[in-house]
Amino acid sequence: MLKLITLVLIYSLTSISHAADISSKVQKFDWDGLEVVWVEDERFPTYDVSVYFADGALSDELKGDTSAALGLLSLGTTRYSQKDLIDHLEFFGVSSGPYVTHEYSLYSVSGLVKDSIPTFKRICHMFADATYPKKELTREIKRSRDATLNLVSDKSTIASMAFRELSLAGSPYAYPVSAKYQDLLKLNNPKHLKKRLAYFNNEVYKRVYISGPKEILKIKEILNQECGWNGKTATFKRDQKFEKSDDQSQPKIYLVTVPGSNQAQVRIGKLMSEEEIQPLETIELLSTYLGGGFTSLLMRELRSSRGLVYGAGAFAAGQKHYGRGVIQTSTKNESVKELLTVVKGLLDDLKAGKVRQDIFDVSKGRLEGSYPFRFEKSSDFLQQLIYLDHIDTKYSRFLNFPDELKKVSSEDMAKWGGRIFDWNKLTIVVQGDKSLEKELSEFGKVIIKNYKEFL
Amino acid sequence: MNRSLFVLFSLALFILSSCSELAKKPEATSASERPTINLDVKKWELDNGLRLLVIEDNTLPIMSYYTFYEVGGRHEGPGTTGATHFLEHMMFRGSKNYPPQVFDSTIEKLGGSTNAYTNFDMTVYYESLPSAHLKRMIEMEADRVKGLLLVPELVEKERQVVFEERKMRYENSPDGKLYLRMMQEVFKDTPYGGSVIGEVEDLKKLTPDNLRSFHDKFYVPNNMVIVIAGDVDADDVYSLVKDNFSDIPKAENLKELKSQNDDKQKYAFKTKNIAKEIKLNGTSRTPLFMYAFQGLPIGPRESYVMDILSSVIGDGESSWLNQTLVKTRYPQLSSVYASNYTLQHNGVFFIGGELSNKYSLSRFKSNLNNLIKKNMCDQAVTERTVQKTKNQYLIGFFEGLKTNAGVAHFAGLRESFFGDYKEYKKEIEIYENITTSEVKDACRKYLESAEGIFISIWDKNKETN
Repeated sequence: MLKLITLVLIYSLTSISHAADISSKVQKFDWDGLEVVWVEDERFPTYDVSVYFADGALSDELKGDTSAALGLLSLGTTRYSQKDLIDHLEFFGVSSGPYVTHEYSLYSVSGLVKDSIPTFKRICHMFADATYPKKELTREIKRSRDATLNLVSDKSTIASMAFRELSLAGSPYAYPVSAKYQDLLKLNNPKHLKKRLAYFNNEVYKRVYISGPKEILKIKEILNQECGWNGKTATFKRDQKFEKSDDQSQPKIYLVTVPGSNQAQVRIGKLMSEEEIQPLETIELLSTYLGGGFTSLLMRELRSSRGLVYGAGAFAAGQKHYGRGVIQTSTKNESVKELLTVVKGLLDDLKAGKVRQDIFDVSKGRLEGSYPFRFEKSSDFLQQLIYLDHIDTKYSRFLNFPDELKKVSSEDMAKWGGRIFDWNKLTIVVQGDKSLEKELSEFGKVIIKNYKEFL
Repeated sequence: MNRSLFVLFSLALFILSSCSELAKKPEATSASERPTINLDVKKWELDNGLRLLVIEDNTLPIMSYYTFYEVGGRHEGPGTTGATHFLEHMMFRGSKNYPPQVFDSTIEKLGGSTNAYTNFDMTVYYESLPSAHLKRMIEMEADRVKGLLLVPELVEKERQVVFEERKMRYENSPDGKLYLRMMQEVFKDTPYGGSVIGEVEDLKKLTPDNLRSFHDKFYVPNNMVIVIAGDVDADDVYSLVKDNFSDIPKAENLKELKSQNDDKQKYAFKTKNIAKEIKLNGTSRTPLFMYAFQGLPIGPRESYVMDILSSVIGDGESSWLNQTLVKTRYPQLSSVYASNYTLQHNGVFFIGGELSNKYSLSRFKSNLNNLIKKNMCDQAVTERTVQKTKNQYLIGFFEGLKTNAGVAHFAGLRESFFGDYKEYKKEIEIYENITTSEVKDACRKYLESAEGIFISIWDKNKETN
């Protein structure tokens, strides 16, 4: 029997009545110790289920082992081959797989409700009895190594990988969750991956997020009994804080060289502290203002006014204990200097409190007006709830977003924007031709890196 | 009839009736009726030929607005490649009552988003925004049909943006280079034999007058379909669209102009035997390849059969190519896929992927050819794999219909391609009834017995013509 826990949603009486309507569709259950959040959606015969694990790559014993243990479940079990497992799930049109971050991990499954019982029986069997057969594991490791080498042809991805490592250097969040080329062979160890999976099954706290019709709640018995998940023993929640030193007085500039490119990838940003990720509404507005749409400051200045780029984006967002402020774009090699000069000017203005009021107004209107879209797909709404729970924030913060946003002034945004995107505190990564070194040196000392360091 | 499919489509019927229920009037159905999807669409055609589809859904106070112009890259002549796509960019650069930077600012300030895409057959603009702003949105869309500015200075700026986009999509992307060359070879000497974004030399020469001419010829009401889905009243939408668009005259010569463009001979393959190998030099450390075969246009039953074939052999980890070439003890490939790309007047079927490190390219090409000629059609196409694909398509339908934008796009594409949004019913019926032997026959006819073009890109390739 499902035990309904009192709904903890508290929302103020705003004009956003649809938010209230939707929030009434959110229920919480205790399934024999396993916490469950259900967003009722009877419109479609489909479901989305995400299992939240309160630990992620920060717990890796071998680099990438969390990602591998959760990502390679379908290689084989005590009863079924890889082919049997995949064919069974794909026959029902099921999509499944993990999403591993440093702080937490998700395993998501979606499909037709009518097939949910055989689907979850197989998913739970994989969690309970995955064996990571040596033959299949060796093949997957090789595949992963080949794909890593071939990233040379994906310039944007390499730039983002390099930027992550360089801008988060010194923190526990710098290393990629899926490991690097040099680590992959070490993961070819079924015994180790089974141990990692057992850790996530037996020790790590879990919460299950579900959207779909009521019929999907029939998976309770399977999760409790066949996955063996309950809250009695699996209680560990990672809560690793990190204090970052703030002694940088000029931008760190890196040129990452990669062969065969007539377009430079540019990434600018930094690691955000816990304090900087607290004002959720303000930093979301900042993200929109700087690089959140066609009308953002960067798009207006770099694309519309100068024709320098096809796209430019920015975000400032956090997990529980850290965040990232990032600007990303690309331009032809000849325009890199002009692009950096423009961006520096815009960020200096922001720090000086100069906000483009027209763009500020558009950004605020955009966030406020688009709020109902966050409820349009139940699966997207579910992701919002997962995030809020992860950062220990009440759902009311999300439901009151439009009201809270109204209170954010341009001065507030400039204060946090100037702090997060303070030019002298930033890391600038340009990935492109070696000839760019001279122009980049006009902005400060340039450190040259080979792209292979980041694979 | 395949029983399990019957069950699945019965579900589809239930659900999409539910969607309609959210909107207005659920269509009464019974288990004895032939199962089908019923979208509750209201359709009008104005005197000037503009078609309007409205799908009401009052779940949330939001809506999506799609405009389909039946013009794409294939309507460009020599020397003007890229004009359609360039014009799409310029549609966001100002119109009479919404000067540069006002169109997108207005939409975003209201809480909306906007974008567009161009392919060989059509150009599609879309917005999603709170439904309270329906009137404003219709006025804005009408304004850029009636009063597009095309300011020369802004055309120059946008030209640079298009060059940057071209670099991103093709010049710096081995996948993009491979795809472009495949299209050029398969559709050689036809309007599909190039890229929608255009050749650099042509892009340099395009003038505001070129773009204006394109706009005047093709951005006309009898070449448009507007679809609005969401929290709107259909009759109100009709009145507003009529008020804003009915004064735009239809293009009297459109039929003639399009009949020249639609001459099937222009799109027919120029040679039956396309067997050829092409090597491109690119930055990829292991070879990427595409093996392309002459395909079919969208519409005929066989092209739906080919859709299922492409999924059976190349969609998902359990697909035959994946299990045979990737998920095997000695993998020849690290990834593989298959695609049936159907365009309005022709199509291409291709298999693509990435070789395992150190696996010989020539050996792989020979192996793949042998597999296709000897084993694939019999081994891959079974009752189970065909049924699996039908199940996956069903989920795909649902996923696509979970947002107003998805519903509007779904209905509008069919209205534009087939002249009737209700074509989806036929589509579903065809998918439902396709048999395993049909898929097997198509596999033999279009792959096993045919010749293809094998194109690879690799940092060790010496470029060939």
